[in-house]
Amino acid sequence: MSLLGWCQWLEQTPLATAISESVWLFPLIEGTHIMALPLSVGLMVMFDLRLLGLAFKNGSTARLMGDVVRWSKLGFAVMFTTGGLLFMTQAGKAYGNAFFRAKLIFLVMLGLNALVYHAIFYSRMAEWDASGRTPLGARLCGALSLVVWIGVIICGRTMAYQF
Amino acid sequence: MILAVASFLDWFAKSRWLVYIRDSSFGMPALQSVHLVALTILLAAILVLNLRLTGLGMVDWSLPALVRQLKPWSIGALALVVASGVVMFLGNPEKYLASYPFLFKMTVLGLAILFQFSVLRRLSTLEPGAPPRRADFMVAGLSLTLWFTVGWAGRAIAFV
Repeated sequence: MSLLGWCQWLEQTPLATAISESVWLFPLIEGTHIMALPLSVGLMVMFDLRLLGLAFKNGSTARLMGDVVRWSKLGFAVMFTTGGLLFMTQAGKAYGNAFFRAKLIFLVMLGLNALVYHAIFYSRMAEWDASGRTPLGARLCGALSLVVWIGVIICGRTMAYQF
Repeated sequence: MILAVASFLDWFAKSRWLVYIRDSSFGMPALQSVHLVALTILLAAILVLNLRLTGLGMVDWSLPALVRQLKPWSIGALALVVASGVVMFLGNPEKYLASYPFLFKMTVLGLAILFQFSVLRRLSTLEPGAPPRRADFMVAGLSLTLWFTVGWAGRAIAFV
């Protein structure tokens, strides 16, 4: 089965049609998806502000990251669950949509960015807490995350206008 | 006075750039994207303050320090969220004024802003490492309930 065929099949599954046909299920899932933004993306952006030296000055970077990760895990769990359900109901249309494709590429970029940060900077955060100078690479990770997350929100909002 | 406001709104709603934003295919998505990005930052800043208030996170900072450092972001995001909201409203004032979720949203928004700038400000004296009090949990719960109710009511405008 082709990827498009799979998307079209997904749209016809009982779960997808139940959500599409329900009066309140779709708005509830979509609303939850949007209201989980501050708890997921928003907290990531807060950590980006720390890396860029724009907020959260003078505390431990590692502890801030621990707090942000602990709470945003909850947000991202909600995001991926509701996002998956929303995708199911409109998978065929989403497949060919440029904004949906861009959103997926952005999410992959953010995943890679997080892996790079983890591999290179995770163990070194205490050093720059002491020196007060965040390395250029870590600041770049923060800047990339900030910009691409905003791109994800823009793509997510815009794709719905094309269905 | 009301007549003057009404005629201003009417003039504004018919102004060329507003009509362009409302009717072009990218105007509304762009406006709503700004609204969503700004609300993400605003509510995340409020979430951070409430996490600190309850001692559930960000305990390295005193609450006054967090309020101070996040101020440009929360005030800037609030300004953007309101500005983009006002432009959306002016594009179709009759629709919004007839919408119960919209009127409810504006009421709760007023309460949320009032609460944020009175109660939370007065309580924002927690020093680094200070344990939270029972009242802090109630204040945080009320703050988050108010702000997220604003968000849900906003989403309901499109569906009700």
